Amino acid sequence: MMSNFSRSPWILHYDGSSCNGCDIEVLACLTPLYDVERFGVLNTGNPKHADILLVTGSVNERNIEIIQNLYRQMPDPKVVVAVGACACSGGIFARAYNIQGGIDKVVPVDVYVPGCAARPESIIDGVVQGIAALEEKRKKTA
Amino acid sequence: MFAWIAGILFVVLAPIFGGLLVGFDRIISARMQGRVGPPLLQPFYDFGKLLQKQARQVNPVVEPLILGHVAFMAITGLLLLSGTDIIFCAFVFALSALFLVLAAGSVNSPFSNAGAERELIVMLASEPFFILMMAAVCKVTGQSSFAGVMASSHLVALELPGVVLAFLMVATIKLRKSPFDISTSHHPHQELVSGLTTDMSGRMLAYVELAHWYESALLATFVVLLFNWSIALGVVVFLVAYFLEILVDNSTSRIKWQLVLRSTWIATLLFSGGNVLVLFLVAR
Amino acid sequence: MSSLVAFLIAFPLLLGAVLLLVTRASIRNPLVLLGGASIIVASIVTVVTFGNGDGIFFGLPNGIEPGYALLAAEIAMTSFIVVIGLANRRFLAPAMALVQLGIALWLELTGRMPEIDAQRLFYFDRLSMIMVLIIGIIGTLICINALGYMRDYHRASPMIKGRRNVFFSLLFVFLAGMFGLVTSNSLPMMLLFWEITTLCSFLLIGYTRTNETIGYAFKALNMNLLGGLAFGIAIAILATNGQSLELSELTKGTASGVLLGAVALLCLAGITKSAQMPFSSWLLGAMYAPSPTSALLHSSTMVKAGVFLLLRLSPAIATTPVGYLVAFVGLGTFLFVSLVAVTEQNTKKVLAYSTIGSLGLVVGCAGVGGPELMWVGVMIIIFHALAKGLLFLVVGTIENRLYTKDMENFDTLLSRLPRVSVLALVGMAGMFIAPFGIVIAKWAAIRAFLNVPGGQGAVMILIMAFGSSLTIFYWGKLLIKVLSMKNIGEYERSIEGRVTRYEWFTESALAIGVLAFTALIMPISDKVISPWALGAFNQAPRTLLNIEPAMLVVLLAAVLFLPLLAIWASHRSYDTSDFYSSGRNTNAQHVMGAALGGTRTVSLRSYYLDGVINGSLIFRLGTATCAGVLIAMVVTGMVVR
Repeated sequence: MMSNFSRSPWILHYDGSSCNGCDIEVLACLTPLYDVERFGVLNTGNPKHADILLVTGSVNERNIEIIQNLYRQMPDPKVVVAVGACACSGGIFARAYNIQGGIDKVVPVDVYVPGCAARPESIIDGVVQGIAALEEKRKKTA
Repeated sequence: MFAWIAGILFVVLAPIFGGLLVGFDRIISARMQGRVGPPLLQPFYDFGKLLQKQARQVNPVVEPLILGHVAFMAITGLLLLSGTDIIFCAFVFALSALFLVLAAGSVNSPFSNAGAERELIVMLASEPFFILMMAAVCKVTGQSSFAGVMASSHLVALELPGVVLAFLMVATIKLRKSPFDISTSHHPHQELVSGLTTDMSGRMLAYVELAHWYESALLATFVVLLFNWSIALGVVVFLVAYFLEILVDNSTSRIKWQLVLRSTWIATLLFSGGNVLVLFLVAR
Repeated sequence: MSSLVAFLIAFPLLLGAVLLLVTRASIRNPLVLLGGASIIVASIVTVVTFGNGDGIFFGLPNGIEPGYALLAAEIAMTSFIVVIGLANRRFLAPAMALVQLGIALWLELTGRMPEIDAQRLFYFDRLSMIMVLIIGIIGTLICINALGYMRDYHRASPMIKGRRNVFFSLLFVFLAGMFGLVTSNSLPMMLLFWEITTLCSFLLIGYTRTNETIGYAFKALNMNLLGGLAFGIAIAILATNGQSLELSELTKGTASGVLLGAVALLCLAGITKSAQMPFSSWLLGAMYAPSPTSALLHSSTMVKAGVFLLLRLSPAIATTPVGYLVAFVGLGTFLFVSLVAVTEQNTKKVLAYSTIGSLGLVVGCAGVGGPELMWVGVMIIIFHALAKGLLFLVVGTIENRLYTKDMENFDTLLSRLPRVSVLALVGMAGMFIAPFGIVIAKWAAIRAFLNVPGGQGAVMILIMAFGSSLTIFYWGKLLIKVLSMKNIGEYERSIEGRVTRYEWFTESALAIGVLAFTALIMPISDKVISPWALGAFNQAPRTLLNIEPAMLVVLLAAVLFLPLLAIWASHRSYDTSDFYSSGRNTNAQHVMGAALGGTRTVSLRSYYLDGVINGSLIFRLGTATCAGVLIAMVVTGMVVR
């Protein structure tokens, strides 16, 4: 049986050092073509309301603190979905002087969505896997 | 006794009505934007999830204040239907809104605080109308209770066309719809993050939703007061008005607080005030 | 009865004289406490002896006649005003005082002053009873509170020369004046007490003797003397036309002819005393006085003398054009000052505007008349005395801890002064939250205005709707400031330790009073307020307002339930979090990182509706409008026959 968590995953989208390619694709998910609100997905823009932290782009020196703060402010249970090559590993910027690498350098990542840029279908797929991880965590805490 | 049963029924059923209303709202809004939209019961799924989430709060006064907000919304309905003076109910209605303001204001954060102050402004914009409306209804029918107004032979809306017009405008504020949604900023237009509710999570947010459902049901009850032919007619009129609100919500952008205050006050003064003045001048 | 009332007037006067000689706190404190306790006991005994509640007339004990004592007292006071006015090079006040004395002398010397029955000098009914309780209990509590406040006040501002003996002496002399005022039936005697309160107010506002406060003191003196002068002229009109100088005769029914002119002038006097527009500016200036003065004179008691007189006069002016014009001065003031209060940042001035507004409502009620509105007027007087007195005292306590009256600096008050904040919350709740008395009164007022015929009824309802909403706005803003807290675990340290026990005792007592009165609103209404309101209009006993017990029970339960909930919440362990600030979190000092490695301090400010409401413009507009209505009122009273 589907719990309320699977039916109502609310997302916080954070843009790290992204080239904005993945961000465009994330927003495409909200458009009439993909319409993720069909599955109860909301883009909240507020960590305190969110269940899923969806990060695009890599981690740099300046946003370590921000990502950690946002993650910390999300209420449990919560999952992190890294979207795109940069978020997964640092991507083509990995060797740049200011880049730390993928999101998993600073917060625990549950789902990795590959692609440069990640396609909307795979982003949605990543969120669905995120929901499964969310259910897992909920059961653990319950 | 019957009145008390009606009041208790309101407390039980209003959330269902309000929740379904929000469900329809989200579907219709999505259709207007060319999308399919969420299931009808989505607001209830969200509500259930929020109750199960961890509730982290910034300070210990938030939860009592939010509970006060919900409780007084429900009490307003209970009092209104159980026969308490309807003008007094308008004051209790304002008290409930005030609790939400205080809950958000007690969080010493920029977003919550700006939301709280803006909510005070929209209260300032809408409150005169509700007091005036209740007073006008009492004046027209000579009654002071819900049952009395419903039993009155006066058809309120016919004698209060100006008040009905102003209601359409002021209801936009209470339903938290664009262009007047300056305090919570629903939807992802996020200049204020989530305004009032920015620092509320888990069950706190669920309570705020619940209170909003009550609030919608209360507004429907107010429409029933204005269209006192029958309850069914009132509800139908409310639904039509709600549809118009959704249309406006989807076709306008948020305006500045100055304009909210000025336009609402002018509407209240011109339409309701003028209407009430005429009423007094021609009255017995 | 007569000896009790004589005691209430003479004892504070005597105590005041003694306190003038006492300069040491170790002697003054027990004296004030003992004296205060005696006054409280005496006022309660007076009320208990009063018995069945019908109005009674009486004279001085043993049938003593005041004779020329009144005139002598008046000459003494006038000479004092003349001397102090000339010493400060202010000439208006001495001039007005001399004219008034001239009128009194002329009446007396030409034998025009009618004889006053020595057994009908005083009148005592349920309204006097309420006022005696307010003055005797709330007034005395405020005097006791001042013991603590003044110590810290002089510690905080060592530049001000301490004259605490004068201060406490004046407070008690003032109480004597008030007791006399609310029990007088003879108008000349009432005028004497009226001027005593004016003079006390003048001296207390000028307590610090800076140029600024002396200016405000003279402003208050001038405006109140103008009212006194109107009072004096009214007496002259009555006397020269062979009318009775007894207040009870004047208020038997609707006034007409020459009586209406005199009553209109008395209304003018009441309006100046209650600081209605165009005379509001004196009360705002009076806010520079120490806070207990503001609590005692400028909110709980003295300004109530004006509305007390208007309520007494209401049967004479109700349904006349004069009555409606008086009502519009009051309601207009309520609306205008509520608009101005929204733009005000100084907490004491917000309290002052709110006071003027509440009194405006009472003036509106008195002008329109009728038992329902009398009920509303008395309800507001009682509740305002409790809640606003409490608020002024609390703000005084806060001011002595934070060294500021600016409400923007009241941030995180609940963390810094937790128990004081709770007292402030009770006071504010009393002023504008639903089941408490003032909101009940506003609601009852709207109900009554619905029955006012013609366009003026509609305008009154509009004023009530907009005015009440503005009230919610400015109180709400202040409440946000008081309730705001920093992040959990980062509370500022409480700085409550040095609040004196005098302040704790008196402020808690008033807070309990607010709650108790709300709980007992129905019995008090049935036993005291309704019978008086109906009696004033010679109507048979009936239920005035349909307050269903169910509605009160539900609301009261909810209101009492919330504090319990708060206590429960404070003992519960929560998952805590800091507030959201876009991922750049602040530290305990509210400092957050900013661009280029810099830092920024987060500070929150309220809305003052700049650009929509222009406070000073509205104030001038209100003053002009109300002045126009007021002049129309006096002219109508004089001309319409």
